[in-house]
Amino acid sequence: MNTIALEASSLGRRYGGTWALRDCSLSLPTARVIALVGPNGAGKTTLLHLATGLLQPTSGTIRVLGEQPGANPEILARVGFVAQDMPLYRSFTVAEMLRFGEELNPAWDRQLAVSRLESLSIPLSQKVGTLSGGQRGQVSLAVALAKRPDLLLLDEPLAALDPLARRDFLAALMESVADHGVSVVLSSHLVSDLERVCDHLVVLRSGRVAVDGDIAGLVRTHRLVSGPRHTGPLGGVGEVIDRTDTDRQTVALVRTVGHVLDPAWTVREVDLEEIVLGYLGAREGSNAQADPTLRAVRPAPSEVGS
Amino acid sequence: MIWLTWRQHRAQALAILIGLGAIGVFSLVTGPRIAAAFRELHACLVVPGQDCGLLHESFDRRFSGLQFVIPLYMVVPLLMGVFLGAPLIAREVEQGTHRLAWTQTVTRGRWALTKIGLVGAFTVAAAALFAWIVTIWSAPLVAASGQRFGFGVFDLRGIVPIAYAVFAVALGTAIGASIRKTLPAMAVTLAAFAAVRVVVELLLRPRYLPSQTISYSFLQDSPRAGLGDWVITSRVFDPTGRFVSPDGGIHINPTDLAHACPGIGGGLPGKDEVGRCLSQLGVRIVDTYQPGSRFWLFQGIESAIFVALAVGLVVLSMWLIRRRIS
Repeated sequence: MNTIALEASSLGRRYGGTWALRDCSLSLPTARVIALVGPNGAGKTTLLHLATGLLQPTSGTIRVLGEQPGANPEILARVGFVAQDMPLYRSFTVAEMLRFGEELNPAWDRQLAVSRLESLSIPLSQKVGTLSGGQRGQVSLAVALAKRPDLLLLDEPLAALDPLARRDFLAALMESVADHGVSVVLSSHLVSDLERVCDHLVVLRSGRVAVDGDIAGLVRTHRLVSGPRHTGPLGGVGEVIDRTDTDRQTVALVRTVGHVLDPAWTVREVDLEEIVLGYLGAREGSNAQADPTLRAVRPAPSEVGS
Repeated sequence: MIWLTWRQHRAQALAILIGLGAIGVFSLVTGPRIAAAFRELHACLVVPGQDCGLLHESFDRRFSGLQFVIPLYMVVPLLMGVFLGAPLIAREVEQGTHRLAWTQTVTRGRWALTKIGLVGAFTVAAAALFAWIVTIWSAPLVAASGQRFGFGVFDLRGIVPIAYAVFAVALGTAIGASIRKTLPAMAVTLAAFAAVRVVVELLLRPRYLPSQTISYSFLQDSPRAGLGDWVITSRVFDPTGRFVSPDGGIHINPTDLAHACPGIGGGLPGKDEVGRCLSQLGVRIVDTYQPGSRFWLFQGIESAIFVALAVGLVVLSMWLIRRRIS
């Protein structure tokens, strides 16, 4: 049994002269719900297309479930994909969309698809083109799930949905994760929706991986510290992720190593959204290497506990 | 995949079959009358020495109105390319459904080959039916005119319509796979198909084999009349050079004529007198032609050209699908 869902090594993809994804190294575990977050143009879609085999890498390698994506029917069968905007054949009825899945997938689970759509009261005889956005999303998800993949990749599945449909979609997704143990990678530029459902976070920024880790661990090791304006390096923390110095105050998102002991600082816990925004807001170049004042600071013995 | 291809393209297939049905009905209604009239003409033509000029003229007059079908029939292969070929890949990419299809348990190579193969097979069958109907229906008209190589005759009969249709669909598919937008792909397919057809028809077809030459005296019928030859050029040659225009036609000035043939009466000489005079002067007609017996050879050569182009375009489409579309 392979425990790596998706593994990338120095993965890059260039369009013309622009790198959509560059030097991306990742190792994502199975049996997780992984959030792939970043602003538009960060390389999320490129990464997912590389993982499905729709795109070929310009440099580096990518493996899904230990195999080259899209190379043969066996690996195609094990990876489900819902592309951005959830393309479906508009002139087909819902029943014909299921027939499509059945014709193109040997391991098709018709019962699963039909019962899902029935429980959502989506009539099988209705034309796909006349469904609401939320219903189309549910049909896309049903088709992807009834293929019975081991890994399900979803590209911005929530973007086109209203809040209610978003909630229903995530509920349906979570239900099948619980029932079938499928691993999920879900891309989004919205963080708030993902906090409840995801347990692993990858943040992409400008085609590079800004952070990759277990969400509980990230929340545990990140803190927002604030205090009087302080222009020098921040001591006593593992790494400064993002920092704002105003005239009177310094606020910083930091990765901690143990407790922040300096009494001058107010320390507070952060949520997933603050972590993501911190990594997205950080200056270009992996965390401050370009800016000496923001260099990651290892705690010097004299500063700890002063 | 077979079901999917059928489900996606059944509307176009049905439209094409309805069109063929209309052509079939039209042929059934008009065909028997043409055939009956031709039997009458033929009965006259087989008697040696009989003058069938009037009968021939009335036959031609009666059915010349049917020429309106030539441009309509000429675009049938083009329509198949525009409506069956161009959207084949372009519409999928335009609507993003290629990503849906390529992430099921079917490799994109098999997906593309199945689609192109099935649509191609349908194209061959539909075009063959079309060519068969038109060939049978037009047989008396062509026999009466003796023109087997003419524009709208060679192109609509035999096996070339099948090759045109296969080429048109392959062209549409390849253009659709490179432009990836349905409407522009249809427009470009239309223009490209027309351009290739014109180039082949005007520049290549007369040169498939070296043409032959025959020379005969002015005022005579060609000794090859009635053999269904394709006369490519017919020019007049005159040893004196006096009556021949630079374009190979003939230019007659009555004064010159009277000078050359003093026996000719004054005023405007009759047609026969002019002919006799020119024959005496050694004026000859020189035809370059492709013999009518080469009809099937030329059909085969032209079909091979278009089928070879179609194969190249399918290879190009497969390459675009595998390497250039994501």
